Amino acid sequence: MQSVSSMSSIEHFWLVIFCAIVAFIPRFFPLLFFTKRAIPEWFNEWMRFVPVSLFTALVVKSVFIDSKYHIMTSGNLGMIISAILVGFVAYRTRSMTLSVVIGLVSVMIFVLLFHI
Amino acid sequence: MKKNEPNWLMVLRTVMPLGLSYIPIGLACGVLLHAAGFNHLLTGLISVMVFSGGAQFLIASMLTINAPMTTIILMMFFLELRYALLGSSLSRYLKGQPLPFILGFAFSMNDENYAVNYLKFATDKHWKPKQALLVEHYSLLFWTVSNIIGSLIGSALTIDLKVVDFALTALFIYMAIMQTKSRLIILVATLSGVLTIFFLVLMKSTLGLVVATLIASLCGYFIERHLVEHKPESHLLYKIHDPTRPLDDK
Repeated sequence: MQSVSSMSSIEHFWLVIFCAIVAFIPRFFPLLFFTKRAIPEWFNEWMRFVPVSLFTALVVKSVFIDSKYHIMTSGNLGMIISAILVGFVAYRTRSMTLSVVIGLVSVMIFVLLFHI
Repeated sequence: MKKNEPNWLMVLRTVMPLGLSYIPIGLACGVLLHAAGFNHLLTGLISVMVFSGGAQFLIASMLTINAPMTTIILMMFFLELRYALLGSSLSRYLKGQPLPFILGFAFSMNDENYAVNYLKFATDKHWKPKQALLVEHYSLLFWTVSNIIGSLIGSALTIDLKVVDFALTALFIYMAIMQTKSRLIILVATLSGVLTIFFLVLMKSTLGLVVATLIASLCGYFIERHLVEHKPESHLLYKIHDPTRPLDDK
């Protein structure tokens, strides 16, 4: 592939630095705030629902939404089937490795072989 | 669980599935950054400093369409806002840690190692903040090395992004299933899924993820509070059976 960007390496360097700052702020300050203060019980109870909501959101985004933020209407059947399969494997085996490996093999077969 | 296993090996074993799924994704990311004009050193630097698959893919694709720097940084800001939620929900396990630790922990936290650590903290009461930090560093190592190798092989590699990206999707599906301990959680997850589609299409930005997560988790919190107070026998509070354990196990 040809390099297509018009930015120089120095500009890239500053881009990395600014991106790192922008990435660091939301990672650091909430964590600092809540580890230094007493956490109210309601906050902890609420936070227990955050991981599952976030993980589902990330999965739904990658399976159903394309890079232009439209709902995918074709080309994601293989991913949908693989996602259901991974869910089943994860539920039955509780193994992270098995879930990831079976998911990858399944999506390879569907996408690369059957093109669905 | 092996008794005499050294700590570094035990943590490495915990992080291994994540580390292995980072290899193809990191390679793909390195290839894309190379194509976007990043040199090997900068690819290594961004992998350490930003350490986020989604963000690095976004930067690479924005650079290839010659987007201005301010636009990229602004998009990064919205993309990374969700980390505020990750930090908040892990904070109760990191209470009393000194500032340098919090700094280091926040610096290398991302979706995937957060997922691994949240699961460990929630299920293993011996899981220590130091081990959580080691999980982050192992995953950082896998990620950075894969990115640099991807950058070095550059165009010699053709990668189907859809397939590679599914490694992370599978990881998140596994994590969501592990969190599903009651019928209420299934309801919250379903709600989150529907809201995600709605807000992503509406807002045309990953901020939709944050809004969907906030609304779904708040709904879960209020429904649970209402049920515990008024309808403790509700079917929604029923536990989900873990098939790897006998039925009478609590």
